[in-house]
Amino acid sequence: MAEPKARVLMVSDFFFPNFGGVENHIYYLSQCLLKLGHKVVVMTHAYGNRSGVRYMTGGLKVYYVPWKPFVMQTTFPTVYGTFPIVRTILRREKITVVHGHQAFSTLCHEALMHARTMGYKVVFTDHSLYGFADVGSIHMNKVLQFSLADIDQAICVSHTSKENTVLRSGLSPAKVFMIPNAVDTAMFKPASVRPSTDVITIVVISRLVYRKGADLLVEVIPEVCRLYPNVRFVVGGDGPKHVRLEEMREKHSLQDRVEMLGAVPHSRVRSVLVTGHIFLNSSLTEAFCIAILEAASCGLLTVSTRVGGVPEVLPDDMVVLAEPDPDDMVRAIEKAISILPSIKPEEMHNRMKKLYSWQDVAKRTEIVYDRALKCSNRNLLERLSRFLSCGAWAGKLFCMVMIVDYLLWHLLQLLQPDDDIEEAPDVLIHYHGEKIN
Amino acid sequence: MVDLSLSNKRYTYVQESESEPTRGAIDIHHVIINGSRATGYACRKGLGFFLVLLASSMYFLLGKDNPFTTLSWGFLLSGLFVMLQSRKFVKKESVVIMPTFGIQLETQYLSGKTVSRFIPIGKILKPVLAECVTPITCYWSLSLLLRGEEQLTLVFKELRPPLKMLVPIWKALCAVIGTDQSEMIAEEEHVVST
Repeated sequence: MAEPKARVLMVSDFFFPNFGGVENHIYYLSQCLLKLGHKVVVMTHAYGNRSGVRYMTGGLKVYYVPWKPFVMQTTFPTVYGTFPIVRTILRREKITVVHGHQAFSTLCHEALMHARTMGYKVVFTDHSLYGFADVGSIHMNKVLQFSLADIDQAICVSHTSKENTVLRSGLSPAKVFMIPNAVDTAMFKPASVRPSTDVITIVVISRLVYRKGADLLVEVIPEVCRLYPNVRFVVGGDGPKHVRLEEMREKHSLQDRVEMLGAVPHSRVRSVLVTGHIFLNSSLTEAFCIAILEAASCGLLTVSTRVGGVPEVLPDDMVVLAEPDPDDMVRAIEKAISILPSIKPEEMHNRMKKLYSWQDVAKRTEIVYDRALKCSNRNLLERLSRFLSCGAWAGKLFCMVMIVDYLLWHLLQLLQPDDDIEEAPDVLIHYHGEKIN
Repeated sequence: MVDLSLSNKRYTYVQESESEPTRGAIDIHHVIINGSRATGYACRKGLGFFLVLLASSMYFLLGKDNPFTTLSWGFLLSGLFVMLQSRKFVKKESVVIMPTFGIQLETQYLSGKTVSRFIPIGKILKPVLAECVTPITCYWSLSLLLRGEEQLTLVFKELRPPLKMLVPIWKALCAVIGTDQSEMIAEEEHVVST
C-alpha cells in the first residue's frame, strides 16, 4: 500500500536569491519531492524587494515573509513574533510535516518551536559543523539543544556531522538519519574535449574567507608554482582574503600563472571547472563539501584537506587528502599531478551519476517523513519533561518559554479561530500529461 | 435582482444584476460587513478606550480632584473618540461593473458617507487575485493593473473578504475586460488598414 503523500513546509532563512549550499539543497530536494508527488512549500524571509508569494519551477510555492534580516541573512529573533504568520501558513497550506534547515537560522528554530506547540510533526536538517569552545558556539549549541529536545526526526549530511550534532544537542542518535547531499550531474558534465595536460591547471572555487582556508592557499600556491613550472592556478570567488592573495601574486610575480576571476556566479561554475585538471579545496572545516562533488562530476581530480565530512564524500581513487598544513598539501598536489595521466573524466562522471543523485536524497528523505508522521502525538506535559533534562537553569527557562508559547497559541486561536484561516488552493502542474497536485 | 449570495461570520456577499443577462447589463457586487459585528466592534473599541482613559486619569488625579469630574471627562472624550473613529468604520464596499464603460468602486461608511472612484474600461489592463503577506498574516486580495500606474489598485480597500467571495467578482471583471480588449484591438486594426 502506498504511503500517503506528505505536505511539507521547508523553513530556513537561507533560500534563493541568496546563493549557497543550503539554498541549493532546499531547492533540489523540493523539486525532487514535488516529482514524487508530495506538496512542498518554502518559507523564508523577504530579500529586499522580493516579498510575498512567489512560484518557482514545478509549482514550488515560496513565502517571502517580510521580517527584517539582521546578521548574516538571519531574521531578527523575537521568539514569539513569527507565531501568527507561521500558524497562518501552516493552516492555509494544510501542512503535515515541517522541515527546518540549518542551525544558524533563527526563523527555522522559531518555526519549529511554534509547529511543535501546535502539534505538527517536525524534522530538522543540520548542514554545518560547529565548535564547542567559544562563547558564540556555546550559546548556539544551547539554542540547538532547546530546538532539538522536542523534534521527531533529524537529518545530517555526513556521519561526522551526525556525531557533531548529537554531541552538541544531546539528541538521541537513533533519531538522527544520515542523508548526504548530492550534485546535479546533468549540469556538471566534463568538457567534450579535455584540456591538454602540457600545462596543468589547478582550479580553486570558494569564498575567500578564513573558514575556507584562504590563508593556506597563500602558502601553497607559490610553493607549487616554484616546484612545477608547467602548473597554473585559476582562483574563482571573492571575500575578505582576496587582498592577501593579490599580495601573494605581486610578491612572487605570479600574475601570469595565477588567474583571479573574482566572484563566479553558480551558472558559470561548470565552465570554469572544465578548464582545469585538478580541483583544490583548502577548507578548515566542512560538514560535507558539495564543491568537490561538482568538481568530480566534471572529471577533475580533487585535492582536499582531511577535515570534517570530506573523507566520506568521494571514493579514494578520486581524491587525494592532506592535513590542513601547507607542506602536506604541497605533497598531496605532487601526488595528484603524478596520478593525473590515469584519470578518465568521462568514467569519473559516470561513477558520480551512480553514486549521487537528488532523486535518491528525496526518496531517503521521504522515509524520514514517514517515520516522523508515525511518531506519536505528545501532550504538553510530556514535552515539558524533555526540556527539563536540558540543564539545571536552562531546562526551567525552556519550560517557561514553551508554556508561554502554548498560552500564546490559545490566545491566537481566540482572536482568529482555526476555521477563519481559509485554505489556499493548490497549484496544479502537468508533468507529461499526468496531473500532480 | 439578487443573483448570488454568500456569507460567512464576518462578511456577506451579494451580487445584483438585470433580470435578463444582456450584454450591456450593469453588474453590481456588494460585500457587506455583518451588521451586528460592525456596531459591536465600535462599541467594544469605545468601551476599551474609555476604560483606559478612566484608569490613567484616576492614576494621575488620585486624591487631587473630584472623581465625578474625571468620570464625566472620560465619558466625553471616549464618546468623541468613537464618533471620530466611526467615520472609518466601513459598512459596505461595492463594485459596479458597467460593460464598455468602466468600473465604479464604492465604499460606504457607518456614518453614511460614501467614497467612490470610477475607472474607465480603457485604463484597466487586468484584474488580479494576489496573496498578500504581512509580518503577521496572509490573505487574498483582488486588485487591478492599470495603465500608466506602477502600483496595483485594490478593489476592496478596507475589507478583506475571503477567496470564495472574490472569485466570482474576479471572473466578472475578467469577462468584461476580456471582451472589451479584443474589441479594441479589432477597432485599431480596422483603423490602420483603411
